[in-house]
This record gives sequence, structure tokens and C-alpha cells, in this order.
Amino acid sequence: MNMSRASSLAPSMFLLGLAAAAGAAPAAPAKNAAPAKAASAADKPAKPKANAGVKPTRRAPLAPLPPGPDVAWSHAPFEVGQCNICHKSGDPKAPGPVVDNSNDMCFTCHEEIKEALAGRKFQHDAIDAGCTACHNPHNSRYKKLLTDPAPQLCYECHSDIEKVATTSKVRHGAITKERACLACHNPHAANVEHLLIQLPYDLCVGCHSTNDLADDNGKKLMNIKQLLTDNEVKHGPIAQKDCSACHQTHGSANFRLLVQAYPEKFYSPYDPANYALCYRCHNDQIMANATTTTLTKFRDGDRSLHYLHVHKEDRGRTCRACHEVHASHKPHQIRDAVPFGSGGWMLPLNFKQTATGGQCEKTCHNTKTYANKK
Amino acid sequence: MRTSVVLWTLILWASSASVAAPGNAFYNAEIGNQVENLTLDKLTGGRQPFLGDADANVFLFFRPDQENSRAVLKQMTALALKLGDKRVAWVAVVSDAYAKEAVAAAVAEAGLTMPVLIDKGDALYGKLGVVLHPVIGIADKQHKLVAYEPFHKIDYAVIVEARIKRLLGLISDAELAAALNPPQAVDGGDKVVAKRHLKMAEMLFAAKSYDKALEFAAKSLAHDPEAAGAHGLVALILATRGDCAGAKPAIDAALKLDAKEARALAAKEMCAKAK
Repeated sequence: MNMSRASSLAPSMFLLGLAAAAGAAPAAPAKNAAPAKAASAADKPAKPKANAGVKPTRRAPLAPLPPGPDVAWSHAPFEVGQCNICHKSGDPKAPGPVVDNSNDMCFTCHEEIKEALAGRKFQHDAIDAGCTACHNPHNSRYKKLLTDPAPQLCYECHSDIEKVATTSKVRHGAITKERACLACHNPHAANVEHLLIQLPYDLCVGCHSTNDLADDNGKKLMNIKQLLTDNEVKHGPIAQKDCSACHQTHGSANFRLLVQAYPEKFYSPYDPANYALCYRCHNDQIMANATTTTLTKFRDGDRSLHYLHVHKEDRGRTCRACHEVHASHKPHQIRDAVPFGSGGWMLPLNFKQTATGGQCEKTCHNTKTYANKK
Repeated sequence: MRTSVVLWTLILWASSASVAAPGNAFYNAEIGNQVENLTLDKLTGGRQPFLGDADANVFLFFRPDQENSRAVLKQMTALALKLGDKRVAWVAVVSDAYAKEAVAAAVAEAGLTMPVLIDKGDALYGKLGVVLHPVIGIADKQHKLVAYEPFHKIDYAVIVEARIKRLLGLISDAELAAALNPPQAVDGGDKVVAKRHLKMAEMLFAAKSYDKALEFAAKSLAHDPEAAGAHGLVALILATRGDCAGAKPAIDAALKLDAKEARALAAKEMCAKAK
């Protein structure tokens, strides 16, 4: 929408707008006026819907808001009193119906939105309910003439997301910041599923690339961009820019917004439930069989060393004991070093991969070599 | 010179050996490798080779008890239907460690129509070095591995579709690259805002609201000083009002940016006639 800050809207302009709104929907009170009908068929190529399960049911008021210091944004035609740009009559007292009760009228000036809808892979279902489902065509308290600010506006249809974002034990700070949903989602159309502006990683590092970001409890969050710059062997989902594979970005019951449980400890008795996150992609059978010749290459002959490491009653090694979750210098994201004692010591693992297996030098145990082909 | 070449060769060999393949391919089958076509039992009885003789042979390893696998079974069922008129052969492969009933239930839940093959003793899994679930491999007609795609939470079906279409020659490398790393979807920017203000100025000019039209043309130029159209409109508004002296710089600016700018030419002609 063509918008500009309206420093002082004259009362006459408000009356003009009211008349215009009344003209737009003469059969109904202005506040409950019907939204513009869906975009014309010619402008609506068959595209995947961003969230086919969500029905755009929103009916926003079309009438201008009474002037006031908080009504800071106005639509240019309304601001200059040119009712006939959108309405059949230029008479502010009786502007009559709109020229075209579809999104096409908006696209006359907002060509870029039409182009985005035509050129991008995924389209927001709400477009079918009309631009006026989210935008007030006259004036607004909020940028982009939104009828409500994000995330409240989005929650009116996406109540499932609202529930996760507002009631989860662990919440994502991004949702409560100024741009809220719009920091990651394009509300019109996008080239990535769920109307993401970019692939998850590219979005995440937009914020997670500083040293001063903290979680809800004030605990500092890792500078992910730096970590990945410094460590060349990246976890598969990161290489695929798919942070969402492990992190639930709206809210989660698990620390660090993890999708499922992941052990925070170094040692833990083996329980598959502890590794639910990893088993979303990795094979739980790797840990279930003491011997194998197929399931893992971390074996000495047919003796599974994965099984050996995790199946210890009191000191079972969790995934994090040996693997870095984001990236490391070593193959399989093996850690450079492991913590020892309470003094913050780090003992180097010195893992070396060989053509048929590998070797860990004396740290947790004496130097041991394994070969999966003998 | 010779020493340094040997040294670099050793460094390159060492670095490639130390960073073995996970993420880019199966552990035992890299992109470009010929894949041995094992014959497996079918869930519904009988046996069949896991690779067909289609132009694209897609094989999906899944686990029936895994959320991501079940989601991908549904996605690939839909994709197989979408690409139904193409020469694509699909199979889903599952370990015999799972009860047939559990596999059948997952298959039914997804509405899976492709053959489901039972990997006895995880023989195929071990031969390829699968490691992850769900994961998709794509082999060409000669059974050379051309794509390896482990699960993506976002855009998985889009990526697999693009991989298949690239193999079939239906899309270009650039289109595949765009599917793998889609362009950013950002609206707005100075040029877009400038264009919108110009539209508004044009409508106000048509309504003979010249002062307001000038105001919006100026707003347009503030966002995009190189917009020939906005300079041209300023010229035309001023010329229409008879202000040819005022119009002159705008005519010059517009024609410098675009020698054929229609409104600037019209303003120029208007002012020439007025002399």
C-alpha cells in the first residue's frame, strides 16, 4: 500500500473517509463491511498454499479510524482526499462502491505484490480473503496499514502457533521482538515452505551471529555464524540450512527450542527416549544391537562401538560426549576435546579416521584403534 | 617446484580422506557411483529389484515408527502422483527389523502407492551405508547414483522434485540451484516505493491535481533519483501549468536517463510550441 506518515489528519478527512467506507459497502455497517473478494482467476495461478490447514476467516474493519495521535499511518489516496482512485465517485460525502471489489484494484498501484504472488512458489491463503483481511485501506495505527500488529494479527487465524508461542516452556525471543512473525515469514508469498523469507539457516544467523544474544534466563547463546565459520565439518541439517530439523522455532518444551528431548548431560544411563531428537534422523537400531556388520561403521569387526559407549549403567556416554551438534573440525563432528573435572579442563580426544575405521588417543581410555573391515 | 606439488597433493589427499562423505552421499556410495541392483522381498509378496529401468529410479529408506519418515511417505506419495506421467520408478525400503504389521500400518496411513521392499538383515542399508532415515537416493537409467537427499524439514518435496526433474532434463542447473537455495522473498525497497509514489502522482496528474502530483513525484524521486519516468512526469506537470523554465531541468534529467522518455518529450514539445 502507498503509505505515508500522517502527521495531522484533518477532521474533514476523517469524515471523508467514513463516507468513503460507507460507500464501499452500502449494504452493511462500515465496521463490518465485507472484505474485497479474492484475486481474479487470471492472477491466481495454482500454487501450493503455505498452510492449507488454516482457513482465512478474518474480517477486518474497512472504515477509517477516528483521527488521533496514534493513528499514524494513512493510505495515500485517502490522505490526499482522492476517493475516486478507489471508489466510483470522487465525492467524499458519497464515494459510492469501490471501482473493483477485488485484489486487482490494489495491484494497480501495488504491482510488486502482484509480481510476488505470480513469481514465487508459495502464496499466503489469506490473499484469497482479500488484501483488506489484514490491511485497512484508509488508515491505521500500525505500519503497512495493518489492522493489528504482528503477532496478534497473525494469531487471529494461526491460533495453533499462538498457543505454542505463548504457552511453551521455552519461547523464541524473535516472536516478541518488533517484527515478530514478519522477521521470518513473508505475509504475501515466498519461495520457501511456510512462507519463510529464506531457508531457515539464513534467517537464523540474521540474529544468531552475535556474542551478546541471551535466552529467556539470561544465558548467553552461541554465535552460530562464528562457530560454523571456525568449524568446517557441519552437521547435515546445518549444511542443508535446515535448523528447523532440530529446533522448533515458535516454542518448545525442550531446552534450546529443541524439537524433542536431547540429553544435557555428558553421562546418562541409556534410554532411547533421551535421544528422541537424534533418532528423528539417525537410526535407533545403531544403539540397539551389540553386534552388527551393517548398521554403523563405528565398530571393531562386528562389535558395535556405539552400543558399547552408550550401554553403561551409570556412565553411559550421551551423544554429546563424543559429537558436537553443530560443527567441529573432525569427521562425524567428533569433538576436539571433552570436559574433565570441575575446573573447566578440556582434554583433547585426538580422533583420527582411517580408511577402515579410526582411533581415539588416550583421554577417556587408553589409545584404541578400531577397524570395521578386517 | 616438484616438492611443493607433491606436498600439495599430500595435503589435498589428507584433507579429502579426513572429511569422509556424510551429508553429501551414502557412506558406501557416492554421487556418480554405479549402484548394485539388489533384489528384495516385497511387503505384498514376491520379489523385485530395488532399482527399476525408468529414467529416474527413486528409492526411499524409511522407518515406520519415525515421525519424519511417516511425513515423508505422505510427501512422496503426493510427489509420485504429481510426476505420474514421467518416467520415474519409486520404491520405499524398510528394514526387516520392523514387524510387517507396523510397516503396513505406516504405508496405509500415508496412502503409499509405490512398492515397499523389505531389506532383510539390512543388507542394502549396509551396502549403501545409509545411516539416516528418511533418506532418498536417485539413480539414473544405468543405475548410477545421481542424487542423495537426507531428510529436510523444510522444502523436502520441492528439493526431491527438482532433483528428479533435473535428471529427466525438465529443468536446468540454474532452476535446480534455485530449488536448493531459493531466492530471498523480500518486498519493498526504494525502487518499489518510488514506483508506487509515481503511480500515485500519475493518478493525481490525471485528476488535474497538479500540486499533489508534484508532491508525489518528488517523493518518488527521493526514493529513486534515477527514475526517468518521475523526472518526465515532473516535466509534464510543470509544462502543463505553463512553467517551462521550471520544466527544463526535469526534461533534461529525464532525457539524460532515457532519451525516449515519453512524458519528457511531450513536455519538451509543449514548451517548444509555447515559445
